[in-house]
Amino acid sequence: MTGPHDGWWVLGSALKVVILFAATLILVMALVYIERKVVAFMQVRIGPNQAGPKGILQTLADGIKLFFKEPVTPRAVDRPIYILAPLLSLIPMFLVVAIIPFGNSITINGREIFLQGTDLNIGILFFLAMSSIGVYGITLAGWASGSKYPLIGGIRASAQMISYETCMGLALIPAVMTTGTLSMRGMVEAQSGTWLGFVPRWTGLVQVIPMLAFFICAIAETNRPPFDLVEAETELVGGFHTEYSGIRFAIFYLAEFANMFTISAIAVTVFLGGWNGPGFSFLPWLWPLLWFFAKTGVLVFIFMWIRASLPRFRYDQLMSLGWKRLIPVLLVWLLLSSGIQAWINEASNHVAGG
Amino acid sequence: MTIADYLPILMMLVVGALFGGVSMFVSKFLAPRRPTRTKLEPYECGIVADKEPPERFPVRFYMVAMLFILFDIEIVFMYPWAVAYGRLGVFGFVEMAVFLLILLGAYAYIWREGVLDWAPRRALLVGSRSASEPDAAHEAEKAA
Repeated sequence: MTGPHDGWWVLGSALKVVILFAATLILVMALVYIERKVVAFMQVRIGPNQAGPKGILQTLADGIKLFFKEPVTPRAVDRPIYILAPLLSLIPMFLVVAIIPFGNSITINGREIFLQGTDLNIGILFFLAMSSIGVYGITLAGWASGSKYPLIGGIRASAQMISYETCMGLALIPAVMTTGTLSMRGMVEAQSGTWLGFVPRWTGLVQVIPMLAFFICAIAETNRPPFDLVEAETELVGGFHTEYSGIRFAIFYLAEFANMFTISAIAVTVFLGGWNGPGFSFLPWLWPLLWFFAKTGVLVFIFMWIRASLPRFRYDQLMSLGWKRLIPVLLVWLLLSSGIQAWINEASNHVAGG
Repeated sequence: MTIADYLPILMMLVVGALFGGVSMFVSKFLAPRRPTRTKLEPYECGIVADKEPPERFPVRFYMVAMLFILFDIEIVFMYPWAVAYGRLGVFGFVEMAVFLLILLGAYAYIWREGVLDWAPRRALLVGSRSASEPDAAHEAEKAA
């Protein structure tokens, strides 16, 4: 938000935070329902259709049910950490929501308000930091449960998530290099306009390989199939959340689905031009918002599609994909693309200089 | 860009923590609580577990953690460089190329030492041979 940091600014920020919080919860409910419907459709089933018209209240019904279920606390747990772990995976997710640029800006009373919780100058680093903290939630949940399957799930989770976090960090560097900023809003603004009048200036159209690598990492980082070894039912019962029930399990579930959305939103912001897109003078603040949600929706749909299509990886395949394929490819790509960019800059400097 | 930009983050932290904390707390009063001895046992697919969970796990997980720290620090070094890249020109490229080549050298070394293999090298070889042998036999049979 631009303008002075006065009382109105604080009030506006508080309002934005509350709206973002509520919107996230509603969005997650919608996402769970959509995923179940989409996967059901792909598997030639009907999916939820009992609660409410076409079953749209199914998630709400499940949530209420989980709320009234007994949260069993097994005797072997390390109690403080066991209670803290769901919060540790929930809170970083909400904090990432606060930095996502959902739209451009809206002018109320002559004051320009950005449609974003807050625009940090280190936005993308903040995102990486929060996804690192998310690892703690899952790892500590597995460790504190004092039971075999959660322990194995938690250890697998930490190794998997930190490996893919390395790749994710590497995949984001070329994008930062192209846009020259770490701020989320700055990145979107750097991608406005077109090449040759019709090709959008999206980072992902130049940095194709980092974009694809980022998307693979995104799936691994959110523990979605085919990288859901953390909670592989056939071998680990429920993985890190085996010993969690009732509301505590619901919080993990909420965090997992919201992460799928936030990471798609980050991918859209960094690689696919964020809220950039053709707009009209009628309700100028609405179009960027629609573009943003349309692009994010496509990515979220791909997440669901992949889940319905691909079988689960084996653990050694997962680790070797991360360490032996993605990392060398990304390192070499970084070298190449920075070289090409330096060459282009140098050439254009010569032209400009005379 | 001031510290005030972090105020919404702080607000979100409070809201998120309150949401999680309050829903867990309220659920405590709404949900039934009927613990039995068997119910509180660690999960073991219905039977009573006779062993505690292991305290040790494969050393490879530690190796991954160590590699992660090394690589992540190197990657964090690259972020300021990437932001300033437009202004650094050829000098910036050469600097990072030297850094990346050293990193790639170290990477090639850990690969050769087998740190990145998720099973002992022998097991991997045996695995691949036994996977390919029936195939070869089959091919030979076909040829005959």
